[in-house]
Amino acid sequence: MAEGLSSRVNSFLSDPEREALKAATFQRLHPRIYLERFLQEKIRPDGRSKAEDINDANVWRNVEVNVGSITTASGSALVRLGNTTVVCGVKAEICEPELDNPHEGFLVPNIDLPALCSPKFKSGPPTEEAQVLSERLNEVLGNGMIPLSSLCICPGKSAWVLYVDATVINYDGNAFDAALLAMVCALRNVSLPHADFDPEVNRTICIRPGFDPAKPARNLAIQEDLVPLAFSFGVFARSHLLPDPTASEEPLLDTTISIILDARARVLALSQLGVGVNKSETLDQGVDSNSTTREADTLARCISLAKIRHAVLLEKLYDI
Amino acid sequence: MQAAFDRRRINGPEESFSPTFTNEPQESILENVHRTRKDRNISDIRPIFLQPGLISQANGSAYIETQRTKIACSVYGPRQSKNTTYNEKGKLNVEVKFAPFSCERRRTPLRDAEDRSIATAIQQALISSVRLEQFPKSTIDIFLIIIEADGVEGCIASGSTAASTALADAGIDMYGLVTSCTAAVVGADIWIDPTQEESNIANGIFILSCMPALGIVTNVWQSGRMTPSQVLACIDVCDSRCTDIHSIVAQSLLVNARSKT
Repeated sequence: MAEGLSSRVNSFLSDPEREALKAATFQRLHPRIYLERFLQEKIRPDGRSKAEDINDANVWRNVEVNVGSITTASGSALVRLGNTTVVCGVKAEICEPELDNPHEGFLVPNIDLPALCSPKFKSGPPTEEAQVLSERLNEVLGNGMIPLSSLCICPGKSAWVLYVDATVINYDGNAFDAALLAMVCALRNVSLPHADFDPEVNRTICIRPGFDPAKPARNLAIQEDLVPLAFSFGVFARSHLLPDPTASEEPLLDTTISIILDARARVLALSQLGVGVNKSETLDQGVDSNSTTREADTLARCISLAKIRHAVLLEKLYDI
Repeated sequence: MQAAFDRRRINGPEESFSPTFTNEPQESILENVHRTRKDRNISDIRPIFLQPGLISQANGSAYIETQRTKIACSVYGPRQSKNTTYNEKGKLNVEVKFAPFSCERRRTPLRDAEDRSIATAIQQALISSVRLEQFPKSTIDIFLIIIEADGVEGCIASGSTAASTALADAGIDMYGLVTSCTAAVVGADIWIDPTQEESNIANGIFILSCMPALGIVTNVWQSGRMTPSQVLACIDVCDSRCTDIHSIVAQSLLVNARSKT
């Protein structure tokens, strides 16, 4: 019966469509062999070239950034990294500072991976993956890029809390890089109204922007030097380095590497989960064979790839 | 305000409040006694931007934007139902989620009653258009994320239209495309497609969902104070606007289908 159905479906399709259906079925059943065959031809399934030439721009996916389109948020950004789409909105609210840190406000980043963005997520409380991502984003954004003291309105009485919420609309891999870029862009877009703490009524009163020219809204005091950008890589079959992995590649990776650079392309943070590219394999890929350990080899290569990409991204970030 | 401490999320301070402003603008209700609409005719809808197929991971999807209202919708399925009891007809599952930054006040990530009431309204608008008898033992999941809201009614109407577009994009058998339109009774007039501000001053709100190609109404929702003749008038204007929206939906699906080949 299944055959009858498939022949019925096939009769509707043109030859190229039938071939595409065969390829999709093969990918579904043998994802590993599917990817291997592409890499043998020195190309990735989405048409990118393999990271062999370090200056090849085609090893990364296209990035688009759009800021400030959500009027209900204090600042917002939409980032598309290939097909991966993330929207981030910042909501500024007023709270009482912690007793230990009376001069500091709060920065609260969270990421949501809703059931909408991929068939692998279910609706309900945050999945393990979302929790890990939120935690990593919190660590990176807590690097002092926004001095928490700049969020203080009145010491010990009142401070701003910035809820930075990112929602993934389309999950096609590497959500971390896309979410961090969206959060950074949304924070740069934030405009806070002028706020005064009134000790008599024990309340904070804000001035609507444009109401009093002497008390305008302000942007955040961002330490431009420390603005972080993330660059993720995967290692497939211990022999192929895949920058910016897609959703179909991610489950097949043995190792993930994330490099986080600041605005001057210095390394802020670095993580490698798993082993690097096997040396004997990298040799015939033309990687410098003088390095002593292969882990250092892989990491050095990732860092130099990340730095080249960093320059491209920075241009995008400042052009918007 | 933080609703509850949740260790699965990054938590902020125990409680926080959205900013209060001095000299809140107090114009809307008192000054607008004659209530003329500001930037469009009372029978005009807001311009619609509709794009099917944006979410590549889903079987079908649509993104709709009507000025400030922005909604993303994706369809997964038909896929196997989770519960094991045999069902001759398929299930249509609709879930709506507000992004935390979508409204004037921050919405805490916990689901509330408003999400569910919107989901029910959209499910009711769609259910009679889908040929569920074709999908025994299966579930069709429709997920919507409201990125920015400008009135609950607008969300229901745009959400239903987007969901029907996404169903068509997923290639799921339907009797016809569902489109939806809202109306508000303000004074003696009927304003089509009201914004949040406009529905706040309205006496009554009306939402019509229908399949314009078949001339069949799938769902009617009315609340507030209206005379029966006003209700009938609302049906008429909404029905003709739904026909306009239907051509937008059909056009966007056509353009998307052509771009694929």
